[in-house]
Amino acid sequence: MRDTFSSKLVELAQSNPQVLLLTGDHGYGLFNGLREAQPQQFINMGIAEQNMVGVAAGLSRVGFKPIVYGLSAFVPIRVLEQIKLDVCHDNLPVIFIGDGAGFVYSHLGTSHQSTEDIAVTRAIPNLIVMSPGDRFELSRCMDLAYAENLPVYIRLGKADRGDVHSQNLDFNLGDLIFLKKPTDVTFSVTLVATGSMLKLATMLCKRFPSLGLVSAPSLKPINEEQIRDLCLNNQTIITLEEHSIVGGLGSIISDVAATLAHATVKKLGIQDRFSEHCGSYEYLLNEHKIDFDSLEDAIKHHVPSLD
Amino acid sequence: MQNTLIAKKIRKNILDMAFSGSTVHLGCALCLVEIFAVIYRSHLNYDFFNPSDPARDFLVLSKGHGVMAQYACMKELGWLDEKTLSNYFADGTDLKGLSDSRVQGLEVTSGSLGHGLSVGAGIAFGHHLKKVNQKTFVIVGDGELNEGACWEAIQFAGHHQLQNLMIVVDKNNFQAMDATSEIINQENLKIQIESFNFNVVDLDGHDEQALDQAIQDLFDLRNNKPSCIIANTVKGKGISFMENKNEWHYLRLDQALYESAISELET
Repeated sequence: MRDTFSSKLVELAQSNPQVLLLTGDHGYGLFNGLREAQPQQFINMGIAEQNMVGVAAGLSRVGFKPIVYGLSAFVPIRVLEQIKLDVCHDNLPVIFIGDGAGFVYSHLGTSHQSTEDIAVTRAIPNLIVMSPGDRFELSRCMDLAYAENLPVYIRLGKADRGDVHSQNLDFNLGDLIFLKKPTDVTFSVTLVATGSMLKLATMLCKRFPSLGLVSAPSLKPINEEQIRDLCLNNQTIITLEEHSIVGGLGSIISDVAATLAHATVKKLGIQDRFSEHCGSYEYLLNEHKIDFDSLEDAIKHHVPSLD
Repeated sequence: MQNTLIAKKIRKNILDMAFSGSTVHLGCALCLVEIFAVIYRSHLNYDFFNPSDPARDFLVLSKGHGVMAQYACMKELGWLDEKTLSNYFADGTDLKGLSDSRVQGLEVTSGSLGHGLSVGAGIAFGHHLKKVNQKTFVIVGDGELNEGACWEAIQFAGHHQLQNLMIVVDKNNFQAMDATSEIINQENLKIQIESFNFNVVDLDGHDEQALDQAIQDLFDLRNNKPSCIIANTVKGKGISFMENKNEWHYLRLDQALYESAISELET
C-alpha cells in the first residue's frame, strides 16, 4: 500500500506541477520517489502542523494543489480547526493524508494512535472522507480525491495486511463495494468493513461462510441507497472498523438503518452546513430550522398523529 | 481614491456601524484606521470589481476583531453602500462581526486567532514559487501573537525568505481581558521577530506618512527577508473616552455615547 501511495504521488506530481506534497516532518522513506523525480514539489514544513495546513490553504488560493501528509493523530486531529476554517469553509482543494490510523503505532502509545478521526472529520461540512482497504482501493481513492478538486481526508491504516481485490477498481465516490452475498436466505448477515479491517473481514468470511461482505472505502459522502438495500436484504449488519464505534462506519450504517427499523429515528439538528447569513441568535436558529416553529413543523410532518 | 480615505470619516463609519448593530470590538477597530487607509490608498493592487483576479495583492486581516475598520474603508472606496452599513448585524445580512472570506473584499475567515498569518504565508509562498511580484499583507494583533501558530508562520516565512510578505502588528498593548504586558509580555517583540530573519520597523501606527514610507522602504529592500511593521497604536484611537480603555473591547454605544463620540470627531 505504501509503494502504491508513493508511486501514485509521483504520478500526480508529474502530471501537474501545481501538485505540492507538504509533510510535517513525517513519512521517512515514503517520499524518496517524489524527492528524486520532482524535488521542487516536496516541502518539509517542519514539525509545525497548524502552519502546514494554513500554508496549504494559502497555496491552494493561488492555484496550487497541496497534498498535506501527516500521521492521523496530528492530521486531522491536531489541526482540526485549521482544516475546518482555513480549508473547508472555502471548499479549497487540499488533500489530507492521515497515515498510521488506528493502532499502527501500537508501541508508541496514545499520542500516535488515532481512533476518532473519522468521527470528527465527518462532521465538517464540505470535507470528503475516505478509508481505503488495500492498494487497489487506495489508488482509486487518490484518483477520486484529485479529480474532485475539493477538500478530502484520506485515512491510511495498517498498510501491510495484503490485497483484498485483485485488479484496478473504478467505483464512484461514496459507493460501497459488494464483495460477497450472504448465503443463508433465512437469516442474512453481512459484514461491512473499512480500511485496515477489510482484510480481516475476508478471513472472518472464511470462518463463517454464510456471511456477506461489503467494503466501504468512501465514508462521506456515502451511497445511502446502497446501505438501504443492504439493510432491507439482511437481518443483521455487522460493521468492522479500526476506529471508535462513536461516529465511524458503525454510526454511518446505523444512521441509515435506523430510518428503516420499526422504531424510526428522525434526527433534528444542524444539517451539516455552515451558517449562511449574519443575524440574531433566533435568526440563526430559524436559518437552521431548529427554532420552535420549525421544530414543531418537522415533528408534525414526521409524526402526523401527534397533532 | 486618494481623497476618500480620511481617517475621521473612516472612524465615523465605524461608529455608525457599531451603533446601528449594537456591536462590540470598537476599540479593536478604531486602532486600525490609519493602517488600512494607507495600505488601501497607496499599496494594495486590488480591484473590488474583479476580486478573484489572480494578479491581485492580498490583504489578510488575521485579527478579525478589527473588521469594522475594513468595512469602513470599503464604504469610503465605494465597495459598500450606506444601507449595508446602517443594516449592520440585521437579520439576513452578510457582514459579520469577524472577518469572513465570503464577504467580497475580505480574503480569509479569521477571528479565531492565529490563522491568517499561516494562510497569508502560504499565499506569499505560492507567489514566491511562481516567481510573480505580488504582495501579501497580514494584519495581526499583538494579543494574537500569544498564539503559537503565529510563530510557526513567522519561522516559516523567515526560512523561505518571503520578501513579498509584510506583517503589520497592531500593537495596541491590550487584549480582551487585560494589558498584554500583564498576560504575555512583549517588550522584546522587535528583536524576537528580527531574529526570525525579518526586516522590522517600529513606528507610530497612526502616522500615515510614517506608515506609507515604511511600507515602501521595506518592500524596496528586496534582501530576501519578509517584513514586519510594529505599528504602535492606541486601542480606541480617536475617541477620548475609549482611548486605552480596554472595556471598549466589549462595551456597546448607547445614544448618548454615540452622539458624544461623533461630536468629538467633528470638532
